[in-house]
Formats: sequence, structure tokens, C-alpha cells
Amino acid sequence: MMFPGIALLFLFNYMPMIGLQIAFRDFQLGSTMWTSPWVGFQNFEFLSNPEFWKVVRNTIAIAFWKFFFGFPAPIVLALLLNEIRVRAFKRLVQSVSYLPHFVSWIIIAYMLEALLSPYDGVVNRLIGVFGGEPIFFLGDTDWFRPIVVISAIWKEIGWNSIIYLAAISTLNPHLYEAAYIDGAGKWAQLVHITLPGLVPTISILLILGIPGLLNAGFDQIYPLMNPANLPVSDVLDTYILRNGLQQGYYSMATAIGFLSSAIGMLLVLMTNYWIRKMNGESLW
Amino acid sequence: MRMSAGEKIFQACNTVFLILFSLTMLYPFVLMLAMSLNEGMDTAKGGIYLLPRAFTLFNYEVVLNNPFIKSAYLVTVGRTVIGTALSILVTALFAYGLSYRNVPFRRLITVYAIIPMLFNGGLVPFYLQLKSLHLLNTFWVFVIPYMFNIWNMFVMYRFFRSTPEELREAAEIDGANPLQILFRIIFPVSLPMLAALSLFTAVGHWNDWFAGAFFVTDNQLVPVQTYLQKMLSIDRLEMIPGGAGAEDMYPESKWSDVTLIAVKMATVMVGTLPILFVYPFLQKYFVKGIMIGSLKE
Repeated sequence: MMFPGIALLFLFNYMPMIGLQIAFRDFQLGSTMWTSPWVGFQNFEFLSNPEFWKVVRNTIAIAFWKFFFGFPAPIVLALLLNEIRVRAFKRLVQSVSYLPHFVSWIIIAYMLEALLSPYDGVVNRLIGVFGGEPIFFLGDTDWFRPIVVISAIWKEIGWNSIIYLAAISTLNPHLYEAAYIDGAGKWAQLVHITLPGLVPTISILLILGIPGLLNAGFDQIYPLMNPANLPVSDVLDTYILRNGLQQGYYSMATAIGFLSSAIGMLLVLMTNYWIRKMNGESLW
Repeated sequence: MRMSAGEKIFQACNTVFLILFSLTMLYPFVLMLAMSLNEGMDTAKGGIYLLPRAFTLFNYEVVLNNPFIKSAYLVTVGRTVIGTALSILVTALFAYGLSYRNVPFRRLITVYAIIPMLFNGGLVPFYLQLKSLHLLNTFWVFVIPYMFNIWNMFVMYRFFRSTPEELREAAEIDGANPLQILFRIIFPVSLPMLAALSLFTAVGHWNDWFAGAFFVTDNQLVPVQTYLQKMLSIDRLEMIPGGAGAEDMYPESKWSDVTLIAVKMATVMVGTLPILFVYPFLQKYFVKGIMIGSLKE
């Protein structure tokens, strides 16, 4: 019964893991991974390439800012939504807020073009109305990161708020009543009841989110890349794609992927360990 | 509880903020729709922010006559339906098998399933594996590698485990074999969970553009999202794949009103409208699904 699953995992997850050995061999198309000559750490020479480190910097910068703003944003939204008394309005806002989650990043790239294009875009037209010069947002190295962060928040804030709203709804209403009687205002209730009540949920989501620091979001970034923003938009995954699949440096790309996967795993294990030490929440 | 003045102000501000917030969620769609329904040359003059001014369906005509749109839809719908059905089936079989307490090597199999969640070989080995399995440039490259979903498997596993043991025992006494138990008893009971997971999987298939861009070279095998992705980087009308010859199909006057961005907007609407139509009906299942995934802690 489990055989198809086992076979699939083997073929598409474990075989590629075995394929990682290409990172230590000089692999060329035409030979197999077993017949390629072993070259040890030679493929890891990218570690001395400054272009590689620039890509790493881009990746971590984008991932960090996305996390820094994107992690609290749904919490704030959930807290605000929680204050709405009219249920129909609350449900309407919620439904509208998760719509962007279901739309692909390609579509969002089109939206950004409609909004930010230097000649046809709405934002630039408005800038023109106020007398400014059009800004080529998507080609500007200063604007690229903010655009990535803002569009990522736009896309996921509603969806990510669901879980916080659910957690808030499980909090004991008597706690709030007791606090009110004791004279606690809204802010005090928030800080002393709601936020502590959310700590378990926040912890688990932190564990799931922190390993994402090496993942800047290929699906989002690749459609937005162009030669003008390349210095800031080239991230690990696009670098691997370009060097590996497109330019044929299979061994080097595998080596990079190997390192990045290993570090990701380390981050998960470390984050899980710390958070478990702090408050007992754990992924397993 | 009577509200203080401060609370009233807060409620008012909050409400206004959330209304603006909701409009922000919707506006980009409205904008793209307006631009797609407006004559390209007219849009270029500026001022199209909300509603079309020079209404036309011509942009859509150009898009829908493109031969690749039809094959793209075929591929997308095909992979969504077949891919989702197979994925749920295979994953459920695994989860169900694992849910039996006396399965041999149970711990080992569980660990075997968890490890790929933490660590994987990366893009290049995956691609090379696809190559050696001769899956590249076939329809099945969209289906087979994604048939087993580890995350879904664990959700199903926890759900199956929570079904009462007595149901299974009773069926066994009546002579049912495990497969019959799965389909006749467990599935009907798990319908909400399966429905939610199916929806997530389907959305994943519908929106995936990556496989079509890098694992396939035949233009006829390209799904809608990949077609959209390729259209993104086009900067001249003539470069639209499959569309170049279409100029001959249209009278000169109409064609001269068309701009690239108008056609792009119509293309993206053609790729988005199905999701937008379906969304209001299905969204409560999505929300239920996320709850099922998390509440069984």
C-alpha cells in the first residue's frame, strides 16, 4: 500500500540526494555521476568568488527584510481584525485579504508592471501629475528590495493571519473580562493576555520561518529580474539556475545547492532546539 | 460594555483602515482588468486608473486566437485534474498504510519520509534525475515528481489515526480487506480534510510556472502560468510566441490601436479569471483546510 509513495520518495527525493555527489566530481553531460572523476572540494571554489558572496548578500538581505516586516504584519492584521464587532464586515475583509495568496507570482509580476512601469504605470502617471519625473521602479537597485518586500506582504498577510486569528479565538474570554474588571484597558489586555496567549503559535511559526533565511523566494524574484536590477536581484537560487541548468556548470551549482540545503537544515535544527529550550514548543 | 471615547475613535480608525486595506487587495486586479478592456493606444495617453475609457474586446481577441493559449489551458487543466487526483491517492495510500499500528518498519518508514523535508539534493540533481528518467519534455513531468506530498501525508496520517479503531475492526470482522476499508469507510469520514488538501494541491498545480519553464522545451506542453511568464519579458508585439502571424488576421485599423501592454493585460486576465471566479465559492474550504492542518497538535 505504501509502495508507490516509497518508490516516489526514492526516485525524486533520495536519488537526487545521492546525486549530490556530483558536487565532488567533475560532472559532464554524457557521463553518469558514477563515472565522472572525483575531484574532492574543487567545485567549492565558488566560495572565493566575490560574485558568489554578492549573491549571498542579496539573498540574505531580501530574506531578512521579508521576514522582519512580513512576520509581524499578519499578527498585527489579526489583532486589528479581532477588534471588529460586525461579523459580516470582518468576514468580508478576511475573504478579500486571502485572495492574493491564490494568485501566482507571475500574475503579481504583471500587476507590478501595470502599477510601476515607467511609461504606462499608474504610479508613475500619478508622479507625473504632481510634477515629478517617472521612476523606473523595477529597474532601480534601490527600489527593488522594498518592492519585493511589499509585494510579498501584500500576497501573504491575509493568509498568514488566519492562523493567528484562530489562535486568538481559542483564548479564554473570562481572562479578558477579569482584566476589564480589574481596570485593564485595551492596550494592557493586549500585552498581558493576547500576546502571551499567542506565544506558542508564534514560536512554531518562527521555527518554520527562520530556516527560510536562505530562501529569498525564487518564484517571486525570477519573474522580476532584469539586467537593470541584477546586482540586487540575483539570489542563490537564480544563481544556481543560471550556472547550473543554463550554463552547464552542473558540479558547481550542485555544490552551492548542497551547502545551502545543509545550512538550511542546520538552521531548522538550531531554531527548534533554542525555542524548545525557551518554552517547550517544538516541531516534533 | 459601553465604549469610551477613545475606543470609539479606535473602532472608527480601525474600520477605515481595514476598508482601505481591502481595497488595496482588490485594486491591482481592477486595474489590470480596466487596462485589458481599454484600447491600447488610448491607455497610452494616461488616465486609466479604474474603468476603461475606450472599451474594446480586441485585446482579448488577440489573446484567445493565439494557438498556444489553447494548448496551455489544456496542459494546465490536465495537470491540475490528473496531478491532483493521483497525488491525493498516492499520498493517502501511504498515510493510511502508516496509520496501522502493526506495520513492519514503521519508525523507519516515518523517518524515511521526514528526512526529505529537512534536506534535499537541490535543483541540479533533481533535473538530472528527471533527465535520466526520460520525463523531461513530457506531460508527465508535471505530474509524477509531485505525486507524493510529504506535508499532506502527515496531515492525512494524523487525521486517519484519529478515526476510531472500532470502525476498522468492525469492518475487518466483516471480512473487508484494508483497501476496501480505506475507500468505503475512511475516505467518506475524511472528506472535508481530503477536499481541503485537494484544493491546495490543485491550486499548486494551477499556479506552478517553474516546471513548464525549465523542464519542457516544446511550446505545446507549456502550461498557462509558464506562457504568462514567457510573455513577461517580451518587449515587442511581434515577439509574442504564436502571435506574430496573427497580424494578417486583423484589419489594419484595429491592429494599430493595440499596444503590447494592453495585450499583456488581457493575457494575464485570461490566466487569472478562472481563479477569481472560483475563489468565492471555494474559499471557505481553504480556510477549513489550514485549520485541519494545524489544530491536530
